[in-house]
Amino acid sequence: MKVELSSKKKFQLLKKLKSKKQTKDQPESLESASSMFQKATADSKAKRSKPLNPELVEAASAVASSLPFDRKRTVSDLLAQLRKHEEATDAQKRGETTNISNVIADMKIGKRRLNRGVSRPSSQISFDDDDVQGDMLQRGIRSEFAGSKRRGLHLGRRLNIFPVSPIVTEGTPEAESSPTLWDLEFANQIAAVNQKPPRNGFEEMIQWTKEGKLWEFPINNEAGIEDDVEFHEHIFLDKYLEDFTKQGPIRHFMELVTCGLSKNPYLSVKQKAEHIEWFQNYFQEKEELLKEIDDHKKETDLSLERKSLSE
Amino acid sequence: MRHAGKMAASMLGWALRAARQIFPLPCRGQVRGYYVDWRMLRDVKRRKMAYEYADERLRINALRKNNILPKELQEIADKEIAALPRDSCPVRIRNRCVLTSRPRGVKRRWRLSRIVFRHLADHSQMSGIQRAMW
Repeated sequence: MKVELSSKKKFQLLKKLKSKKQTKDQPESLESASSMFQKATADSKAKRSKPLNPELVEAASAVASSLPFDRKRTVSDLLAQLRKHEEATDAQKRGETTNISNVIADMKIGKRRLNRGVSRPSSQISFDDDDVQGDMLQRGIRSEFAGSKRRGLHLGRRLNIFPVSPIVTEGTPEAESSPTLWDLEFANQIAAVNQKPPRNGFEEMIQWTKEGKLWEFPINNEAGIEDDVEFHEHIFLDKYLEDFTKQGPIRHFMELVTCGLSKNPYLSVKQKAEHIEWFQNYFQEKEELLKEIDDHKKETDLSLERKSLSE
Repeated sequence: MRHAGKMAASMLGWALRAARQIFPLPCRGQVRGYYVDWRMLRDVKRRKMAYEYADERLRINALRKNNILPKELQEIADKEIAALPRDSCPVRIRNRCVLTSRPRGVKRRWRLSRIVFRHLADHSQMSGIQRAMW
């Protein structure tokens, strides 16, 4: 059976064999190497619970025959490798995780040299087209720190060095009471720091639109006016006149007022209602005065009638 | 009611500066607002007051200026409107130049005095303004 090996696998196999040959070249290690391999095979034989797939064995022998090295040795080496792989897969299936995190936990942290700023020699003239670096320089060191800490501080296996303190849950009710002046000031400060001057005319226009200095396009004729009220509520305002007297000059006056309001397109319904309410309050305050005026009027009218009659 | 936005800009050089920061501005950052002079400040105050009392004045005037209500009521309304603060009446507002606070020679459309207008127009900083020639 001829097995077609990919070139990559061939090189890998060659590498392994060369490394073993190097160990073999050392004079005394020849026997030790062989003994090592024998021990390895023995160990692996002892460890593996199930025998290797006979097809794999056949494939290994075919591969060995295709390679130009010592056939028996290559077969035994390949089989040893296969056994190792099988053990690894079995261990993973059982749930024994690889001990990389354990290994890393003991290792030292290697500092990555941060390239702050541009490391070009000053003699070279550099033209920053979009002023991208300028933005970075303005932002300073903070952004680079943020980039390096992107993975987060709380990922990864806990080392259990420090005792875990109970989480304090009293923070939220304090914040609800009222944002203090210091908090407001702090918030304002943050907002001011985050604001950057606009880089071009478009950004300036965006800023103005946000502030309200520039209208939004396409122009919305009803921007700012959120009247959900129908037209009849603007025109028929008689319901607000129910509390007034039905006869007399005041009623006449208020009817004129409502007539004027119904024709007014600039006020909202609330404003119109407020207008009428103001008049209501005013007349209620002056009720006594109005009664006096009425009485006085009646007297004068009567006196006038008497005079006219007498004449 | 018209609000004239009156931010000082001493771009002309002959504006008087009032060294007094009173009305802090709502925008963020260190911005100090100075009105050109005290007269301008007083005019601003009058405008604000007039805006506040505009509705009341309108209603009391409606009571005064009609034939239907009894005259006694109208007399009382007269007294009431006279009792309101003096700066609340719109008649006291003077349309000053926005940049120099000049009370006279101010064109309403641009809110600028004739001198400032001419200066800006000559430096082609007024959109759509051209020297007349016919």
